[in-house]
Amino acid sequence: MDISLLLTEIMVALLGLLVLVLGLALPARGKTVVNRFALLGMIAILAYSITAFSQKASFFNGVYQIDMFGSYFKLLFLSAGILVMLMAGKYISRFEEKSSEFYGLMILATLGMMLMSSAGEFITLYVGLELMTISFYILTAYLQNDKLSAEAGLKYLILGAVSSAILLFGISLVYAMTGTTMFTEIAAAFTMQPALLAGVVLIIAGFAFKISVVPFHMWTPDIYQGAPIPITTYLSVGSKAAGFAALVRVFMVAINGADASFDWSMLLAILAALTIIIGNLIALSQKDVKRLLAYSSIAQAGYILVGVVAANSFGLKGVLFYAMIYVFANTGAFAVATAVEVDTGKTGIEAFAGLSKRSPMLAAIMTICMLSLAGIPPMAGFAGKFYLFAGAVQNGYLWLAVIGLIMSMVSVYYYLGVSKAMYIGENENDSPVLTTGGSTVALWICVLATILLGVYPGPLSELAGYAIQILM
Amino acid sequence: MLTNYPALGIFFLITIAFPVTAMGLAWLFRPKPKAAPDDEKFTTYECGVNTQGKTWIRFKVNYFLYALVFLAFDVEIVFLYPWAVKFGVLGPFAFIEMIIFIAILLIGLWYAWKEGALEWY
Repeated sequence: MDISLLLTEIMVALLGLLVLVLGLALPARGKTVVNRFALLGMIAILAYSITAFSQKASFFNGVYQIDMFGSYFKLLFLSAGILVMLMAGKYISRFEEKSSEFYGLMILATLGMMLMSSAGEFITLYVGLELMTISFYILTAYLQNDKLSAEAGLKYLILGAVSSAILLFGISLVYAMTGTTMFTEIAAAFTMQPALLAGVVLIIAGFAFKISVVPFHMWTPDIYQGAPIPITTYLSVGSKAAGFAALVRVFMVAINGADASFDWSMLLAILAALTIIIGNLIALSQKDVKRLLAYSSIAQAGYILVGVVAANSFGLKGVLFYAMIYVFANTGAFAVATAVEVDTGKTGIEAFAGLSKRSPMLAAIMTICMLSLAGIPPMAGFAGKFYLFAGAVQNGYLWLAVIGLIMSMVSVYYYLGVSKAMYIGENENDSPVLTTGGSTVALWICVLATILLGVYPGPLSELAGYAIQILM
Repeated sequence: MLTNYPALGIFFLITIAFPVTAMGLAWLFRPKPKAAPDDEKFTTYECGVNTQGKTWIRFKVNYFLYALVFLAFDVEIVFLYPWAVKFGVLGPFAFIEMIIFIAILLIGLWYAWKEGALEWY
């Protein structure tokens, strides 16, 4: 056992603790230094984790797995964390003296996601999940004088606790029937029995809550709307990707293929179809951009779930590929929404009216990111959806791919509704929307990645291909 | 495959039958009042005297904070016991590991202290 293989996780843990301690120990003036330190630390860890990408090891008899699948998701979580920290920009000033703790909790949430993506056993997975969600409970309620934020925090706490309980109950049933919590041993001891069936269904329900799959999506809009926008962004890209990382590993290693007498993929396929349809249809009538993006993120979870249903190399590659490009497209859209909210104090669609005249660049970036989410070529979203739906068709789920395609077309309507407001809408205020240096950098990274990965998806898809080899 | 669970099924039936029987028998044997029940009849049954004032008051958050700090050290003891019993066998590696573990918890205590969680106000 070589501890140095855990260096990425250890560094993230140390950075989180250091930021919390320094933020409290230094006087108010030192806090901006701590915030910079947190950002630089995350960038350094990202650089290290790229060099450590191909490491492979198994800790404590398989409880913790270092492999390319985990490494891929670690890259995703770190880049998402960095982008969110950059794009938070002026929004941070709303947190007053609590800004450095905001960074500390973000880093600890990232650590939780990393544990989830590398766990080879249910208890470790659960500890990672709780580390992530408890950090998010606090961060969601971070705007102390905002009633919506407090409401969102309380709702998330209660519903999150219920979903954790459901997940734990499922794990306990699986443990009772197989006598182990290790994924590989569960697969070996898997025999179809009613109690085990109930256990697996409860586990899937617990994960479905985290990735906001219909019918476990009710919490998403309220919490996305109430939470501070940077946290909404991180919830929608980071927390969701972590849920998918854990779901894919559990599904592929422990459950799928262990016993062919029950068709799990059909259960997931129905969930995916419901999610795509309901998410997109409700999004059509949204007037608030944060809520619109919340429902859009529900629909996006449905698309990614299509890849898990397919469970072949195309589909799983699609899951990893789509999760990564979703980070860039969604963070870009939320970064523009953040800039507009800082400027106007509102997030309704009317706040975006005339944005093309006020800040043409922001309007263009918002449009590009939205088109990527809708899956229009040449944006990255098209390449991602191509992998996902191709995988589904290969595995005989043609109807699911057709539903996905039709609802993608429907989604263009509400995505372009925002663009319509930005380009055709009138606004008496024509002063440009100001962005800080950090959020400008984040916006450029998001838009460049969205276009480049759409035009040239090869390298990322190859990387995703290596990452899923462990599961095939 | 449901044939594997006869005990569970019987248990389930008894669980449903028990409260139904108990309440049904109580209904059968209890005296039936002639007059309409008054307000006093409808008050919630509690042991002891009636409550004074509202019950939906806010409790001091400090109780909760103390409980949290206590919990941190309670968990620490759970881990320290097996470690202390096996200390001689485990060697210096486990010693350093435990020092790191305690250091992280101490940072937590320091953090709570500095934030004023230990003040009673």
